Amino acid sequence: MVRKRRLKKLFSKIVGESRCWIEEEVCASYSYDAYPEKPVLPDIVVMPTHTEQIGEIIDLCNRLEIPLTVRGSGTNLSGGTVPVKGGCVMLTTALNRILEINKDDMYARVEPGVITQNLANAVEREGLLYPPDPASMKVSTIGGNVAENSGGLRALKYGVTDRYVMQVKFYDAFSNLVKSGGIPVKLVTGFNLKGLMISSEGLLGVISEVMLKLVPPPQARKTMLVFFDDVLDASRVVSEIIINRILPATLEIMDNFTIKTVEKFHHIGLPTDKGALLLIEVDGHPAAVEDEYVQVEKICRKYGGDVHIAKKQEDRDKLWQARRDTLSSLAMLKPTLILEDATVPRSRVPDMIKVIQDVAKKYNLLIGTFGHAGDGNLHPTILTDRRDEEEMKRVSEAIDEIFERTLDLGGTLSGEHGVGIAKKKYMEKEVGRGTLLFYERLKKGLDPKGIFNPGKVI
Amino acid sequence: MSKKLKRIVDELKELESLTLQCMKCGVCQSVCPLYQKDFFEPSVARGKISLIEALYQGRIESVPGVIKYLDYCILCGRCKRFCPSSVNIDEIFVRAKGILREIDELPFYQKALLKSLIESADFLTNFQPVISVGMKLVSKSAGESGLRTVKFPIKKSVAPVSPKSFNAIFGGLNRAESEKMRVIFYPGCAISYIFVEWGEAVVGVLNHFGVSVYVPEKNRCCGIPAATMGEIDMYKKMAKLNHDWFSSIDDAEYVITACPTCGYGLFDLGVRVAGLESSKKHMDIMVFLKEILNVKLNKKTKGRSTLHIPCHYEHEYDKTLIGELSELNGEFEPLENQSCCGFGGTFSLKHSGDSKEVGAAKMDEVKSKGFEKLYSPCPGCVMQLSELALDRGVDVKVEHPVMDFYRLIKEGGA
Repeated sequence: MVRKRRLKKLFSKIVGESRCWIEEEVCASYSYDAYPEKPVLPDIVVMPTHTEQIGEIIDLCNRLEIPLTVRGSGTNLSGGTVPVKGGCVMLTTALNRILEINKDDMYARVEPGVITQNLANAVEREGLLYPPDPASMKVSTIGGNVAENSGGLRALKYGVTDRYVMQVKFYDAFSNLVKSGGIPVKLVTGFNLKGLMISSEGLLGVISEVMLKLVPPPQARKTMLVFFDDVLDASRVVSEIIINRILPATLEIMDNFTIKTVEKFHHIGLPTDKGALLLIEVDGHPAAVEDEYVQVEKICRKYGGDVHIAKKQEDRDKLWQARRDTLSSLAMLKPTLILEDATVPRSRVPDMIKVIQDVAKKYNLLIGTFGHAGDGNLHPTILTDRRDEEEMKRVSEAIDEIFERTLDLGGTLSGEHGVGIAKKKYMEKEVGRGTLLFYERLKKGLDPKGIFNPGKVI
Repeated sequence: MSKKLKRIVDELKELESLTLQCMKCGVCQSVCPLYQKDFFEPSVARGKISLIEALYQGRIESVPGVIKYLDYCILCGRCKRFCPSSVNIDEIFVRAKGILREIDELPFYQKALLKSLIESADFLTNFQPVISVGMKLVSKSAGESGLRTVKFPIKKSVAPVSPKSFNAIFGGLNRAESEKMRVIFYPGCAISYIFVEWGEAVVGVLNHFGVSVYVPEKNRCCGIPAATMGEIDMYKKMAKLNHDWFSSIDDAEYVITACPTCGYGLFDLGVRVAGLESSKKHMDIMVFLKEILNVKLNKKTKGRSTLHIPCHYEHEYDKTLIGELSELNGEFEPLENQSCCGFGGTFSLKHSGDSKEVGAAKMDEVKSKGFEKLYSPCPGCVMQLSELALDRGVDVKVEHPVMDFYRLIKEGGA
């Protein structure tokens, strides 16, 4: 406690006494995120209100040699914001100003704690679009989106966060402010350090400002919900749509188990005997939309798809309802929900569906499969009870097998949730020893005392 | 760990089946009025649930620390309403507070006050004239608002206590001239003692449409203030007493309320936490007028009006209410700001500054759009919004919509 009081005194000088906490009930509130793993309490929590304070906080952590874990809204699904080695948790939640929305050069400049949805709304009011739409966007922060390279439902056509990052300003472990990127569309001066910060998961620096690219919104869109008898037929439709050079904005899949679960809790009138459904949305120029819609419909019908289209906005909301209710419905089935995001090349989606079916059977587990079929990012969702030790052991084995077979299919351990503590042990298998060594040397050079988010990724 | 703490940990662990449903997604942050203000995890449901878990899993031991943040909650219920996993958050909070209060008891004076105000129906009735006069002595009139401002112990502008209670005037069966049906009207404390004219309007409107109304001879508190302060046994007792009275009346199918929080305390939380089974159907007065009586007005009120939907309103009827007000007032327009008014009963006393901060933005919208009337079918919300209007210099009349229904009816509007 004496040590903690001393910490409080030192950090108070930077952020003020009312913006740092050592009480155990506050520390316990920052001991977890959305990844179901054992919580670890930090020693102190600080909430800077100005980005200049970030450098001072880093400097203090370095001098004291205590870990620094940066946290936005704490929605991370791989344990990235859990302070596994204690130390200081720095909140970005009060660094939440939208600094500029520029319509001439189409960009927005924001502080790291801006909520993704708030940015999307502000941009929309200016008649523009910020496309990345992670499922947690109502609460997630831009800083977290960049550090984790968040995806979303529109990724197939619009890409994920990295496509929109024009500039990143960040503080390095020596408290220097580093700037990379800028407004010009072409800009090749210096190393691509903004690229280095994307997916860095808090290991290489602390982001203090982000400049994001904005785009004109699509003029038209068409939404359809298509039911199939067999989930494999649905996944073949996904591949064929892409082979035909069509890029829907959204191409989501739900298997029979997921359909049944959504219907059980929400009674929205889904046919529970169907093997799978696809939610497809094409957008762009009205003529192109119409043309693509006709082609997509034809492909769906070829595989026996039962096509429903949205004529009005309300119909669109209705069609989306099933997808929006998915995670919550699955969560209600059992106490613990483990959401995976193993991702394969999109041509291998049918194989991946088969893998998940096999694994569920082999380990006798409840696994719902839904997700962004169009970009190969499925979300096998394991429903279990973390109090049941025997079942948790099978869960762990099942996850190992899913990862192994994902890599065999040329896929990746994580499409959008990050490595954190969740996937650390599998990393060598995906990237190889040489790559991990490179990570380690990079980390050692940039953060010699290892204060930034220790215990994660490598 | 002390023996007492050990027992509490064991009791808290019984809440595990409820807390386990929380998958820590954090969606509650986007709807919590306190989180939106503080950006601080202990303010929001996910944080509070984690604290309860941290206690029973032995990571922390500070019971007062956890109570501090469980108390820092308006109980607006948005977290529960928008929770993707449908976690019974209000039930977790109320039950956890009840358990933790065993170790961290309420200060004696708070407990004594709660007991006399809530458990004894006679107390308020007997002392009502005294309180009414007393309030006039210690407070100052706050101009046209009708509120009175007191400065001690905190500066607060409140609606004056009526010299005679609603029950004293209307207790018993109020017969309609050509009786079609009978209902029970449960007024709750605020209408019994402060907004007596609302009670009169409810009885008047119902009588007009051929509905006879039972009113309790003495008001018994719904128990919600006790529940929010962790006095669960007191809460259960009050909820049961009221339900027993409802059941004693055979020829009424519905219990009508004009305070959504009373409705919530008796029929929603009451059913889940107090384990009561209701023999009657519950309905808010505005919903009853539309859904059961299908009331149509042939006159409209004048001036621009808007609506604050109370947090504890049965939200499946939000659209019904909006529809009714559009028929009542030709220039009606709902508020864009759908957040809480910040009242939260005892919350507004214990966290006065935070309470006002939450509702401030709402009042600013009322001001900027120049509404002349702000409807809210809840006494708590009306008290809070009236005070906010006064504080922020907004010239708007705040009241329950049933008042205008009654006025129009008296003018021959239906």
